[in-house]
Amino acid sequence: MRSRPWIFVPLVLAALAALPVIVKSEYLLGILSVCFIYGIWAASWDFMSGLTGRENFGHALFIGAGAYTSAFLNARFALNPWWGLPAGAAMAVLLALVIGFPTLRLRGPYFALAMLAAATIMQRLTLIFWQYSGGEEGIPGLDPLLNSKIGIYYLCLAALVLTTAALLLLARSHGGLLLRGIRGDEAACQAAGIDVTFYKIAALVVSAACAGMGGVLYAHYQEAVTPDVFSVALSISIIIMVYVGGIGTIYGPAVGAILLALLPELLRGLGQYRLWAYSVVLIFILFFAPGGLVAPLWRRAVGLAR
Amino acid sequence: MSALLEVSALSKRFSGLVAVNEVSFSIAPGEITGILGPNGAGKTTLFNLLTGFLPIDGGEVRFDGHNLAGLAPHRIVNRGLARTFQLCRPFSGMSAFENVMVGCLAPRVRHREAPETRAREILAAVGLAHRAETKVDVLPYGDLRRLEIARALATRPRLLLLDEPFAGLGSSEIEPLSALIRALHRSEGLTILLIEHRLREFMQLVSRVIAMDFGRIIAVATPEDIVRHPLVIEAYIGRAEDDTTGDALGTA
Repeated sequence: MRSRPWIFVPLVLAALAALPVIVKSEYLLGILSVCFIYGIWAASWDFMSGLTGRENFGHALFIGAGAYTSAFLNARFALNPWWGLPAGAAMAVLLALVIGFPTLRLRGPYFALAMLAAATIMQRLTLIFWQYSGGEEGIPGLDPLLNSKIGIYYLCLAALVLTTAALLLLARSHGGLLLRGIRGDEAACQAAGIDVTFYKIAALVVSAACAGMGGVLYAHYQEAVTPDVFSVALSISIIIMVYVGGIGTIYGPAVGAILLALLPELLRGLGQYRLWAYSVVLIFILFFAPGGLVAPLWRRAVGLAR
Repeated sequence: MSALLEVSALSKRFSGLVAVNEVSFSIAPGEITGILGPNGAGKTTLFNLLTGFLPIDGGEVRFDGHNLAGLAPHRIVNRGLARTFQLCRPFSGMSAFENVMVGCLAPRVRHREAPETRAREILAAVGLAHRAETKVDVLPYGDLRRLEIARALATRPRLLLLDEPFAGLGSSEIEPLSALIRALHRSEGLTILLIEHRLREFMQLVSRVIAMDFGRIIAVATPEDIVRHPLVIEAYIGRAEDDTTGDALGTA
């Protein structure tokens, strides 16, 4: 029975949907909501960088752009936080175009470095223009998107499932095939008549829109936004999540992100040794499963080659 | 019959070195033309100029009456001028079918017919139908050579530039590939310009040879005549004293 593992997809989704009925802990539901948001960020990073092979060292730029845009509109202009979703995504897309147009037409590390620099600059700007951005403390007192923790849990779960499904469909479309071709050999893609710059920018725009919306969800979940949403640490942890999940598979990074975001909580019993244990687990995963953990295991389960 | 490709005074310099120097020639539709020349003669640079992979320093390339100057490589392909690379450049991690699919998704052909159907047809035409689902990373080199041609064919070129299609192949693999190129020429009416070092096969394939040395065209003649051309002999083995040089070139 080759298809048996597929049963697990609806089963796991059903279990996650039923969880709030069984578990009444708002704390746990909150942790999981954040895990789902990490899943969106990892899947969206993977769509651009995993498929095309153009690493993005500053995914937090899009996350922070979404988060701060929505926070501004909500806190300064008292706009309904739901407007933040399209507005935050639009701001992330704008930044993606500003950085993608000059750097994605070049080969070499320019795109990766420009993303890293842009995210760092934005983080500095939030400190320099503290009168508007709240400096280190950020912008507190945001309205939540929904009033119940259970509602937010379902919102984040739905956002993750929809985003991952949409990105998977795109990755398996003709456009996704071309993105993988770009990863294989950019010049050969051009020789096959493909406008590689257009496809790279399009992939970045999709990636940025998803990450930006994730940023908006995060800001209103926290009911506050701080400069950390632009941090290098956030960008790097997303990349690690993608590698643990299995780069280029979309679903792998989404699941990998949930597991890795959950891991520190699971290790809480270890007290002060928690981060130490987390690092050891990470090193073991990357060392023994260089192709990632989630996607290769899943492929083996459903009987696909390699 | 007007020329399909018209190259006039085409030049390319790399910081002092003139790689392609005032090269002019034209190609009529339906021709198979060969470019001959020792290493460093500027053959591959010429291909890179014709296909937009390198910017032109001087001169003009007209394809089907249109100037190609300043066009990006993918735009030139979509006008019907495709190329292969000297070293096979497959998309690793993808199957042979997916590799050809990329070419079938070029704007030039995408809307004319279903890309999947066309990709299967082309794989069959180059004799790779049985390899469709094989990952290119495990394909033998001979099959990669065929795949390289298949991907270029997918864009329905009117002129196909083949950069050393036999490079790295054993003699037993060259004959079938050579037959394939001839068959494509006949059945699709494809115009072909190719660079090749394997002289015996090259001479059988082409109807006209352009000989290059130090970035210049030194002779244009039929395969029979080119190997007796004094400048060609000189380019390959230095100034000759007697008539046995034809044998050295492997065709007399």
